[in-house]
Amino acid sequence: MTKTYGTGENQVKALDNATFSIEKGQFVLIVGSSGSGKSTLLNMIGLLDRPTKGKVFIDGTDTTKLSENKISAFRNKKLGFIFQFSNLLTDLTVLENVLLPRQIAGTNGSAQKDAQDLLKTVGLESQMNKRANKISGGQAQRVAIARGLINNPSIVLADEPTGNLDSVTSGMVIQLMKSMAKKLNQTFVIVTHEPEHFGDVDKIITIKDGRAFEGEQPAEMEVIA
Amino acid sequence: MEYRLRLAKRMLFNKKGSLIGAVLAVTIGILVIHVNFVIFQGLFDAIVRDISNYRNGDILVTDEADYIDKSDLALANWFERIPFVQGATPRLSSSAEINMTKNGKLIEETRVPVVGVDPYRDVKASTVHETVADGTYVLNRNSVILGTNVARDLGDAQVGDSLKLLIVDRTGEDQIRRFNVAGIMKSPGGQGFDYSVVMHIDTLRDMMGRSGESSSFIVKLNDPSKAFEVKEFFLTAFPNDDFLAETIEESAEEQLAGFRSGIAMINMIGYFGMMSSAFAIVTIQMMLVNGKTREIGVMRSIGAKRKDILIIFIFQGMIIGAIGAGVGTAAGLGYTFYAKETKMSFNNSLPLEVSYNWEKIIQTALTSFSLAIIASLYPSYRATKLLPVEAMRTV
Repeated sequence: MTKTYGTGENQVKALDNATFSIEKGQFVLIVGSSGSGKSTLLNMIGLLDRPTKGKVFIDGTDTTKLSENKISAFRNKKLGFIFQFSNLLTDLTVLENVLLPRQIAGTNGSAQKDAQDLLKTVGLESQMNKRANKISGGQAQRVAIARGLINNPSIVLADEPTGNLDSVTSGMVIQLMKSMAKKLNQTFVIVTHEPEHFGDVDKIITIKDGRAFEGEQPAEMEVIA
Repeated sequence: MEYRLRLAKRMLFNKKGSLIGAVLAVTIGILVIHVNFVIFQGLFDAIVRDISNYRNGDILVTDEADYIDKSDLALANWFERIPFVQGATPRLSSSAEINMTKNGKLIEETRVPVVGVDPYRDVKASTVHETVADGTYVLNRNSVILGTNVARDLGDAQVGDSLKLLIVDRTGEDQIRRFNVAGIMKSPGGQGFDYSVVMHIDTLRDMMGRSGESSSFIVKLNDPSKAFEVKEFFLTAFPNDDFLAETIEESAEEQLAGFRSGIAMINMIGYFGMMSSAFAIVTIQMMLVNGKTREIGVMRSIGAKRKDILIIFIFQGMIIGAIGAGVGTAAGLGYTFYAKETKMSFNNSLPLEVSYNWEKIIQTALTSFSLAIIASLYPSYRATKLLPVEAMRTV
């Protein structure tokens, strides 16, 4: 896929024919220097933005053909998001934040129990009734993980989930994501500039000048260099 | 609770300054309308009340061509058989020239309105007798009651003073008689007889040469809402007389028409005030939307549709409208209660006739509630236009 911003002389190519595939259940890292297009790529996969050219297939669905409402529903049911700054809604409690994607989906059946179970899994069952702005950064990121998983999505997308955390908390969050991926057999796509903290992963995609390469040291990059 | 309503409530209640500002805007809009209503409608109703109490009753009967020549007894008895009628009394009007010597100085007043009353029937059909501030009401045929302004113009006439009154009779002859001042009348608001002289109707009939005749008959009802019914019944009962019977709305129309349009204009100003509060809500809600840009982006990214965001902010408008309408109505009712209980008046003028117009109170509350929702539409629409990626970049 290709993504350009601006027009004429001000046109910037954020993604340049980036092509790759990810298998179900893989734990994938997207790496690259600042401004290389990692977050843009994640936004395209997460259907938060549309490519200027090209297509994004998820579970065999060409998402570029979906209407806006269907994209919203797709995001809600098939995708889970974990952001760098957790992005919890501070007007809600920890539990209400985790419940929110399920309430948006309108499937409230076992929502309360599922949310409580997830919060237990991430070790925050004692904090569930606290306002989201009353917990620490590390706890907030764990809540964000629980929120990202509540609808049992096919793919979990994380944009620098440890970028705002100290090394000890980062380690905890990474271990948590890896264990959840294994336990729930979910695909995790994580944008990071610290791949070494993640240990063994299924795949690394490197973004350089808007182009995607599989692996950390793409031969093509060396040739170009 | 529905999650969108809960979010709307939390977002609003966590921004107390904005909530208070928006609620105050609605409250003030409603309060302005209530205050306007209490003052101007109260003044209007007070004037109607005084015209009815002092001059026209609930039904005013006159003769289309001339004076009423049917006997007082016959007409009063006819009316008083009807259960809704509190009393019926004849009145006779004329004008007079008054001479009075005060402190050795002769004072003359011309063209002073004179009203003849039947003192025994009048106390049942009007409250003129209650306006006697000094002395007594008409007790005998040789006494008069002076309006406070007439007394002042006569060199500060007092109870017990003597004066000469000249009236031109129906043949053009001057009729002069001497009277004692039995009382001084004073009433706030200008609808009483402060500029008139009141005397016994039979004395005035004698002087005018109109024995048994009356200018009008005023009828006071226990239940003024039956005025039209009683009027129609009366006209049907006397088809061959040239009677003209009018309810207070009809007989006072000329005096009240200008006032009525004034009230309509004041009400318009009140509703413009309410519109201003709607603009205040738009501004405050735009601030709320701007303050929640990041949250809107997050919600959109986890699957909320534009419709969901729209509903959240419309719920906020509904909450603002509901609280504002509640507080505003309560404040308005409080003011109305205060005005009613204290018989509010301005500069010692006539006390306002305060009433609870529930239809208008509910209409005002519903209008402001609806306006708050309408005012929230644009900010809500703007909120839906935020793109998730761009919204989440906002810090």
